[in-house]
Amino acid sequence: MLASQTRASVRIARRSFATVVENAGFKVAAVDSNQPTVSVTFLAKAGSRYQQKPGVAHALKNFAFKSTADRSALGTVRESELYGGVLSSTLSREHLALTAEFLRGDEKFFVDVLASVIASTRYTRHEYEELVLPTMESEINALHTDPATRALELAHALAFRSGLGASLFASPHTPITVGDVQKFAQTVFAGDIAVLGTGISQSTLSSLVSDALSLESRTVPTPAQSQYFGGETRLESYGTPQTLFIGFGAPGVPSPELSTLAAYLDPNPSVKWSRGSSPMLQAEQTSVQAVYLPYSDASLVGLLIQGPNAQAVTMAGKAAVAALKGSSGVKAEELKSAIAQAKFRTASSVDGRAGLVEVLGSKVLAGLKETSVEASLSAFDKVTATSFKNTTAALVKSKPTFVVIGDTQTLPYAEELGL
Amino acid sequence: MAGRPLGRSLAPYIRSSPTLTKLFTPVANWYASGSLYRQYGLLYDDLLIEERPEVQKALTRLTPREAYDRAFRIKRASQADVLHVPLPREQWTKPEEDVRYLSPHVTQVEAEMQEREKWDTLTVMRK
Repeated sequence: MLASQTRASVRIARRSFATVVENAGFKVAAVDSNQPTVSVTFLAKAGSRYQQKPGVAHALKNFAFKSTADRSALGTVRESELYGGVLSSTLSREHLALTAEFLRGDEKFFVDVLASVIASTRYTRHEYEELVLPTMESEINALHTDPATRALELAHALAFRSGLGASLFASPHTPITVGDVQKFAQTVFAGDIAVLGTGISQSTLSSLVSDALSLESRTVPTPAQSQYFGGETRLESYGTPQTLFIGFGAPGVPSPELSTLAAYLDPNPSVKWSRGSSPMLQAEQTSVQAVYLPYSDASLVGLLIQGPNAQAVTMAGKAAVAALKGSSGVKAEELKSAIAQAKFRTASSVDGRAGLVEVLGSKVLAGLKETSVEASLSAFDKVTATSFKNTTAALVKSKPTFVVIGDTQTLPYAEELGL
Repeated sequence: MAGRPLGRSLAPYIRSSPTLTKLFTPVANWYASGSLYRQYGLLYDDLLIEERPEVQKALTRLTPREAYDRAFRIKRASQADVLHVPLPREQWTKPEEDVRYLSPHVTQVEAEMQEREKWDTLTVMRK
């Protein structure tokens, strides 16, 4: 009993990277909670907002774990399989994460694999054409059958235009060559890389990383400050659910008020299998997702509505616009529950390994002193009815981002919904 | 090494020794100009036997320009062969143009296939 209590308290205490050490051009941070597996992530400022040519970040993401000076693509895969590890690369608008998850004891091999991806990937033309392009094409095809992801891609392009507006995906017939990918890799892998470990001690990870490689600690050029524009777009699509995205963006550091707004707008019931009574759900005909996407210098808040026919989506859209416009007239108890929900979501997002790396990793990479989730949680205590009303009133006054995918003949226009 | 597409070669050994290189270079040049492929506008790598998986894979790795030029040379040589006349002298391959554009790809594909074979038949030992 006592043991389990102690472990619980340790887990709470270690939901953050205790210290960040600068080592050979890397920012190394690690947290060890005695779990049986280890994960190491190399987080680079190589997201789509840093790319010079559209789609090059997508290509670089798929070039991870191809042949390097040390081993071939096949060798990397087969050797990792023998160790029982999982290698993955994840692209977001700001970061590219190269992750290895493996059993304790195999740290040296996997840190070496990740370091060689950063330092000595060979970027050969035949690998690009035989391995990378087909993967990119299948990801692009998957995007074209998924209107929800596509709506968010279009929404970003409308909301932020360049920078954060750049798509995570290359276009189907991309003009990117392997030379472009190599050039991009040389700029973004030259410095500004965070190494994040879970299940491994800081000192072990530090020494492994400095053994594996050293960087020149050049900094990646900072992208232009994001601005919010907004706009409307309509895309014809058949055989997919009718999709509608209504959102607003805000430049500047994401505030807890916007996170609270997303929680307030979310019409889905908190109890599983219960029926939501919100007009946005149209008696379970439509599915609604509250979208809150915070970035380092902007954020996007909105509602993504999907339904089987245009009428249901239009009705749900009207309810969504009413909810967005009426959010500044929030009642005290509604605000309280929204704050609690937003706080819970923030806290639970860092419970998992992927969330911890994603949420806190960006703080480590940005060089912030404070790399725990506690500060983000305590920020919610400062949300008041006035600050919430001011933020939401300013937000809905700006030009909306409105995306429609599906039957464009019958789906509504922005002003038809009262925007 | 009879089963390999590029066959057995003493060239690397000869190139490693300056004396042997000096001795053999004139002979090699004489032999290459004597074999008629240059008079038909071909490069040495156009003569590699194609009907092998390694070479087929290597051919897909040529740049579009290289693949086009190769097809053009082979067509031109076939036509000259049908007419039983070598090409006019100005269309002969010059010695400095006779580069090995395909064999590096073949060597690489061969190494990849050998590596795959190695991983497929690996015996794992517990340390």
